[in-house]
Amino acid sequence: MESLIKTTQLCRYFGTEAIQVKALDHVDLEISSGEFTAIVGPSGSGKSTLLNLIGGLDNPTSGKVELGGTDIAKMTGTELSNFRRDHIGFVFQAYNLIPVLSAAENIEYVMLLQGVAATERKQKVEEILEKVGMQGLGDRRPAELSGGQQQRAAVARALVSKPDIILADEPTANLDSKTGIGLLDMMKQLNEELNVTFVFSTHDEKIMERARRLIHLADGEIEEDEIR
Amino acid sequence: MLLPTLALRNILRQRRRSILTALSMGGGYLLLSFSFSLVYGSYGNLIDMFTQDHTGHIQIHFDNYLKKPKLYKSIQANDEVEAVLDKHAEIVSYAARIHAAALAYGNNKSAPVSIVGIDVEREKTTSMLVKKVKQGTFFSNVMNEDGYYSAMIGYGVANSLRLKTGNELVLISQGADGSIANDIYIVQGIVGTMTSWEKNRVFLPLNAAQEFLSMPGKVHEYSILLPSSDAAREVAEDIQSALANSGLKVSPWQEIEETFYKSMQADIQGNYFSLGIIVFIVFIGVLNTVVMSVLERTREFGVMRAIGTNPWRITLLIILETCTLALFSCAIGFVVTLPLIAWFTFEGIQLAQSLDIGGIPYDTLKGEFTLPVFIIPLLVIVASAAVVSIPPGIRAARITPVEALGSH
Repeated sequence: MESLIKTTQLCRYFGTEAIQVKALDHVDLEISSGEFTAIVGPSGSGKSTLLNLIGGLDNPTSGKVELGGTDIAKMTGTELSNFRRDHIGFVFQAYNLIPVLSAAENIEYVMLLQGVAATERKQKVEEILEKVGMQGLGDRRPAELSGGQQQRAAVARALVSKPDIILADEPTANLDSKTGIGLLDMMKQLNEELNVTFVFSTHDEKIMERARRLIHLADGEIEEDEIR
Repeated sequence: MLLPTLALRNILRQRRRSILTALSMGGGYLLLSFSFSLVYGSYGNLIDMFTQDHTGHIQIHFDNYLKKPKLYKSIQANDEVEAVLDKHAEIVSYAARIHAAALAYGNNKSAPVSIVGIDVEREKTTSMLVKKVKQGTFFSNVMNEDGYYSAMIGYGVANSLRLKTGNELVLISQGADGSIANDIYIVQGIVGTMTSWEKNRVFLPLNAAQEFLSMPGKVHEYSILLPSSDAAREVAEDIQSALANSGLKVSPWQEIEETFYKSMQADIQGNYFSLGIIVFIVFIGVLNTVVMSVLERTREFGVMRAIGTNPWRITLLIILETCTLALFSCAIGFVVTLPLIAWFTFEGIQLAQSLDIGGIPYDTLKGEFTLPVFIIPLLVIVASAAVVSIPPGIRAARITPVEALGSH
């Protein structure tokens, strides 16, 4: 399969030379298009750092991140913003919807940035709300939604612009296990239906069971790459 | 519509803080509008006073007469000049004048005076002279049955020479041709006060002055009255171009009363400086609000950056929020300021003691009710809001998504 994400000798160190924390240490990784991959490991193993580097939210200390053959480290701030807008969807642990916008407006936001026409936006918002099981909740502001509903809206926001890859950093961490499993099942279904690549981090055993590939991280290094 | 919607909702999200900031900017708007109204109103009143009193809004002289007035620097009163003036739609009225220095004698006393020869009919509609006759009547340009012309004298001349209406007045001067000029006139009116412009002046009918000073058909100036002082420069330029190659100099009131105009400008500049300090203080408060708002929303900006918002859009959002709040503040300020300035302009503030400005009583301080009085403060407030929101806007745009997402 075609390699969508490729990291080469990827390092991310924090602190000074004297007191240096190696969050990621020479990580080589390839993820193909359409995969449903979980990055797992204990807290501090480097899961979020890896996702941040893949998503272009952080800069590596050394090494390379290529998305679809493009080295994202060479991009300027605006180029990187545009790249993220068009190719990457994010789902965050704390949902991170824009509080002054309704669920539908949050979903519409990225399409507005992309310059999608109003009628097409409305239609896509309706479709995606239905797909994530949030029909009739589009007008509600984040504060009026439950945690599970907010995370579904966040997934819808990440999906609506049809990105190549969705990065989800512990998407179920703030949800109860039933809601978390429901969300993961929904993400897996969307992965199968739409062939969107999902990469998510978790340390929840029940969630890991649903992944087709598990990348085990420990102390910033890949300990095991398990394909099921 | 994305950014305006976000901006508006962000303003409404912290209502109490937005209201306080709006009150601060609205107060700034009120203060600026009122100050502009006061400054332009009081100067406008002063300008109207002296232009309508005697100088007119524009004057025409021989070349550099205004800077170095000499008797011989006269202009031929002719149809060409008057045709230009008659044709201009913005000219309300104009009058020709002659100026000369003389020695006045009466009741065994003598005093130096300034002679002003005036066009009896036109002067009535060009200056306030006709309204300033305190004793006697406004004169005519015909000799009386004894062969004497009438004169009107300023209050100072009447006082020095102990003259009353009906008394004889002797004037001695030098004619434009170098001859000795002397003649007898009958005092028909006493004009002005001890502080007014007319104090030491003797007014003669134009034809009498021309005869006395050996200046047949000649005058020193045309004084021109417009509906208001605003268009003086433009109209002066129009007339000057129409009288090109005539050797005449057309001067607006700003050049006629150059000292007053320069000191007025200096005073206005000083006033701008004071207002600038007030605006600065207001906007330090606004800056504080914007910085707080940006710091509080660091995580949100991080999310916006992460999902693909360009840095410049975030800067623009911050600027838009502050400018929207500024516009809203100005709208509130306008609602309060409008009736206040209307009252100040049409009713005014009665001074405890009337001031005497060149013999004209000035007893009510009035403002100006014009579009710039409301528009300039609006532009100042909105532009200042935009400027103070740029640094926090840039700061918000520079937020690294990963750092912002880790903030609380």
